[in-house]
Amino acid sequence: MKALGKGSIASFMEVALKIAAIVLWILLACVALAALAYAVLHGLIAAGVVSPDILSGGRGHVRGEGFEASFDTDSSLAWQVVTPALLSALVAIAGALVIVRRLLKLFESFRSGEPFRKENANHLRVIWITMTIVELSRYGILALTGLLVAAFGKPSGAEMTFKINVDLMPWASILVLIVLAEVFREGARLREEQELTI
Amino acid sequence: MAIRVTLDRMLLERRMSLTELCDRVGITLANLSILKTGKAKAIRFSTLNALCRELNCQPGDILSWEASADDALEEQEMAAE
Repeated sequence: MKALGKGSIASFMEVALKIAAIVLWILLACVALAALAYAVLHGLIAAGVVSPDILSGGRGHVRGEGFEASFDTDSSLAWQVVTPALLSALVAIAGALVIVRRLLKLFESFRSGEPFRKENANHLRVIWITMTIVELSRYGILALTGLLVAAFGKPSGAEMTFKINVDLMPWASILVLIVLAEVFREGARLREEQELTI
Repeated sequence: MAIRVTLDRMLLERRMSLTELCDRVGITLANLSILKTGKAKAIRFSTLNALCRELNCQPGDILSWEASADDALEEQEMAAE
């Protein structure tokens, strides 16, 4: 099976990325709806329409990058736990969506058989910048969770542990993408030069 | 770029059209227009050879060099290195 052009691995990847984009949009809508519902619920609790007991009960476990929270009976939906979790999900899904959309554009040009375009170098640059932002935001959200717990107290019944866990794989991928973006830029320049060689 | 292509002058002197030169040299009209208007980045020896053969001239009759601001800048960069 050929790698570029019609009926190639690139065209198969293009279809897979289109499906991934649809799934991510659905996930993003779900998380946004959950955030909205949670905000509305808190508004109703504040207005005295709904009892705060609605947020009690249940047993669960939240695990993020360098962050873990276990809770039982009365703290499952405490805002100190839910807000960072929702924020973390939003950033991760939004970042993945940007990356998938840019990858889709990349694979469109791979399918057409013209990989060395200036736009492709720009797409790769946007992908590594997005990956960097998502990675840094993980640490930011971890710090935010710590600040929230320090300022407002740990939800009762919750066991929270924080640990700095630096995953080197995303950073290695970012470095590879930085180099690849420049390779594509150079490729586009050489292609343009070759086109203008008479 | 400081390299100027003086193909139009050569064609005028020989009363030859660009289309006729295309047919003789075997280059498309679009590519020869790129060369004539100075948009080309490079020229192959085979193209130069064909042009000189059909126009009965030397490469220097088609190409000339004039100093430009880009060259001065490039010279400064090389000196800095």
